[in-house]
Amino acid sequence: MTDAVATRDALRIVGQPVVRHDARDKVVAATAYAADWALPGMLHAAVLRSPYPSARIVRLETKRATAMAGVAVVLTAKDVPRNTLATDVPGQTTAVGPLRATLHVLAEDRVRHQGEPVALVAAETLELARDAVEAIEVEYEVTPGVFTPEAALAPGAPPVHGTGNLLAQWRIARGDVAKALAGANVVVEGEYTTQLVDAAYLEPESGVAWIDSDGVITIRLSTQVIEHFRDVAEVLQVPQNRVRVIGTYLGGGFGGKEDVTVEAYLGLLTLKTGRPVKMVWTRQESLLSRAKRHPYRLRYRTGANAHGEIVAQQIELLADAGAYAYLSALVLLYSTVTAAGPYRVPAVEVDARVAYTNNPPTSAMRGFGAMQTVFAYESQLDRVARALGMDPVAVRRVNALRRGDTLPVGQVIETHVAIPELCERAWAALGPPTAARAPHIKVGRGLACNFQPYGRIVWLHDWASAWVGFEMDGSLVIRCGCPDVGGGQASSLCQIAAEVLGVTLTRISVHVSDSALTPLAGTTTASRQLYMSGNAVLKTARELRAGLLGVAAAMLGGDADDLDMDEDRVVTRDGRTLAIAGLLAECARVGVPRSHLGVYHAPAGEPVDLATGSGKVFPDYTFGAHAAEVEVDTETGLVRVLGYAAAHDVGRAINPQSVEGQIQGGAVQGLGYGLMEEVVVENGINLTTSFATYLIPTAADVPDVRAVVVESGEGLGPFNARGIGEPPIGPPAAAIANAIEAATGARITRLPITAERVARALGLLD
Amino acid sequence: MRRFELVTPGSVDDCLSALKGRGVEVKVLAGGTDLIAQLKVGMLKVAAVVDLSGVAELRVLEGDARRGFRIGAAVTARTLERDAKLRAALPSLSESGALVGSIQIRNLATLGGNICNAAPSADMAPPLLALDAEAVIAGAGGRRRVPMASFFKGVRQTVLGPDELLVEFAVPATGPKSGGAYLRHTPRRELDIAVVGVASQVSLADGVCTKVRIALAAVAPVPVRATAAEQALEGQPLTSQAIARAADLAVEAARPISDQRGSAEFRRHLVRILTRRTLTIALERATA
Repeated sequence: MTDAVATRDALRIVGQPVVRHDARDKVVAATAYAADWALPGMLHAAVLRSPYPSARIVRLETKRATAMAGVAVVLTAKDVPRNTLATDVPGQTTAVGPLRATLHVLAEDRVRHQGEPVALVAAETLELARDAVEAIEVEYEVTPGVFTPEAALAPGAPPVHGTGNLLAQWRIARGDVAKALAGANVVVEGEYTTQLVDAAYLEPESGVAWIDSDGVITIRLSTQVIEHFRDVAEVLQVPQNRVRVIGTYLGGGFGGKEDVTVEAYLGLLTLKTGRPVKMVWTRQESLLSRAKRHPYRLRYRTGANAHGEIVAQQIELLADAGAYAYLSALVLLYSTVTAAGPYRVPAVEVDARVAYTNNPPTSAMRGFGAMQTVFAYESQLDRVARALGMDPVAVRRVNALRRGDTLPVGQVIETHVAIPELCERAWAALGPPTAARAPHIKVGRGLACNFQPYGRIVWLHDWASAWVGFEMDGSLVIRCGCPDVGGGQASSLCQIAAEVLGVTLTRISVHVSDSALTPLAGTTTASRQLYMSGNAVLKTARELRAGLLGVAAAMLGGDADDLDMDEDRVVTRDGRTLAIAGLLAECARVGVPRSHLGVYHAPAGEPVDLATGSGKVFPDYTFGAHAAEVEVDTETGLVRVLGYAAAHDVGRAINPQSVEGQIQGGAVQGLGYGLMEEVVVENGINLTTSFATYLIPTAADVPDVRAVVVESGEGLGPFNARGIGEPPIGPPAAAIANAIEAATGARITRLPITAERVARALGLLD
Repeated sequence: MRRFELVTPGSVDDCLSALKGRGVEVKVLAGGTDLIAQLKVGMLKVAAVVDLSGVAELRVLEGDARRGFRIGAAVTARTLERDAKLRAALPSLSESGALVGSIQIRNLATLGGNICNAAPSADMAPPLLALDAEAVIAGAGGRRRVPMASFFKGVRQTVLGPDELLVEFAVPATGPKSGGAYLRHTPRRELDIAVVGVASQVSLADGVCTKVRIALAAVAPVPVRATAAEQALEGQPLTSQAIARAADLAVEAARPISDQRGSAEFRRHLVRILTRRTLTIALERATA
């Protein structure tokens, strides 16, 4: 490809830590988040939720609630035109076959988890809506439930659905594992347990819906997926072009706003009442009912030779899907593909299963199944190194994947793997060791690597589109259906267009996340938006540039390839310039478009048979290495993180400041996962429905995370960028566990690493 | 949160009038950091709230180590943390104030509120118990004083009658060679609730311990004193062996439950560790 931009050595705007256009409004609280919206005559909505994890609905009576003054409508399952919601691959236009998953919009005859929605109310005030919810009469008959995947898969277990409780199973078999383990110098066996956690975003699920003057049901909400307009249309039984979803800037998504949240309810209520309706979930509701991260039990047998090279991994995974499938089968697929880590392992067996239970449902969350496995494979690798007397960096260097290697699933790694460099740089970034501040304090360091796919599974045929156009004054407009979840998605699109079209950043307006007015770009999930929307804007801007420079070449004389666009002008090699406004006027005169709609199609492939290892699953991966220094109070077991460094090869940092933000935020969220976060569920009842009981780290609990940004110049995104949304959350838990063993000799195999678990591992408790 | 009537009295007597005869339907608002949260989630439903912010008397803070202290019920956690005189004379109470919530919460939360909320984990309770403080309570019949050791009746239950108001705490003089400390265990550094909290207060004369108080939080329905441990130390030199033995004895005063914050076994272990640590710090401070 002969493109001046791609081959130019010095980029002008891409790679600069520009201040994002959305930053100031957020700092001064001027951003209109979903819950900040209001319309005249607006009703307020509330949800009646099941108090039981497993029950039959014997009687559901809404008369009293409906009759209350100020109550506009009370809805139950029988009022929903089509009470089934597809929850398989949000926003996807390709059929997903056996992964098809559904749930009821409102519970019919059964409830399968605590917090499951049973009825909706819209009323003149929120207080009235909540009163009306309390006035709905429901008689439940509690039925036996299952609360662990082991119990769910035991013979005779009560079925959560009409089918068996095994939701999905994936297997990989590569090489002769038994033989390789028999011949290994070291075999390490470990069982690891990871916990249920919540996305715990600042902004709970919220939105406002209304019927626009043209009859289009319009829903403005906090979502990662505006393509859910199609799912809402299905539920309402209206044509898909009669539902519009406007996505707001998000106060965090982390996968928790990938599935449908409030939009189907809002659509129903506004359709039934003809009035605007607002629904904002409380923190308690969000913690109670939103889909969470899958808890896993991971069993590993890892064999290595005398050089520390892994010769075999035998892996068994068991995950808890909770009461509904959502994206569980795909989450498990990510775990299966990544289970052996970013390492060369000649013999691998993976047996992965996920089961229905009557626990809160689990689905997408940052890391998407490629995270739980990190805790296991990085703990195992450290134990191998310890058994052989190797240091943590060395053992990873000898095992790291290299370009051209084949993953157990059969996928060939086609880009640079920076694992050795990332390990060395993260380890060095910790600086000189900290001395223990008291005799009962021990200090240690740990390292953990990961790899995380970015972009969707290749057989989902992913695509994104964007519109880029000049106004007559030379200012630029970008339209792209990409939701901005706070990672700077929209701002990065501006930088990409500015780079290609030579437009000053402040002369660009970007419109994102509107299913009616912005070209669809797919979901802000799977670390795919920079890759997909970024490539869509890049391609569109390049195509627009080619048309414009054709006109410019005619005006200036010479070849379009000799022209550049910079600082809102066209520039010739000999230094002549043409103001952009003049070029645009000429374009109008000769009938060359000043705008362009472009579509980027990701490289696609056929479904892979995992068991036979037949090929490519993901477009590419982002690699990382994190290093932690911790102190352990050997009398109480309390762990404090003293220092933390997180290194990732991002291919190319479009905005280094945003990249650092993603790395720091991900690492801190991962530290919460490692050290304290846990949704505690007892027999299906959630005991942690407030931030007083569901603990996430505060600023006081985490050190400054040193982000080490490595740019290998290799990646499939614009300007060779890789996705960085999810990757940084993966390694922290393992890095902490490895550091604790280095400090104390105690190995922690269960998350979160509470003081009590450390105290027990140290032998302080009986 | 549902609508309620807000009453804003200017004196203790006005408060008592506002409370009179209304029973549980009226609640007192000091800092609001517990009350508002409870109202928001529907744990409490009230018809009226009596806002104490206009009652100056409740913010009294006066005294010194020689005379003892009067500390108003509406003195904030942040004041306990920052007041130089209090920090020097009553370090355990000051430390408990410094550990509550976050800075924003400490600017609102009050000593009286922490005590009247009567959570088993209330951070300010163990220091007050260890200091032999008394609660001064105003009611229709005048004022009465209740030792902190008998103030709590159960989880979220106190001796306060529905028509009564907690006005202030009387903390007796600690004496010249006395020291105290409060430590707690929490998963987070701040914005957290004690898994176990321990306050110790030690007084010395001629190299032996003349008086010691050890009080525990979050290991029983109410904050409790570890009296067996106290008795073992009184009249003894505070050697590290004596402190270790007392720490073992303190465990016997704990009757913890297991919940998601920690098992009973872990809580008993923490009582031992934190008792030893607070006694050691208290001793250092008494001899400083």
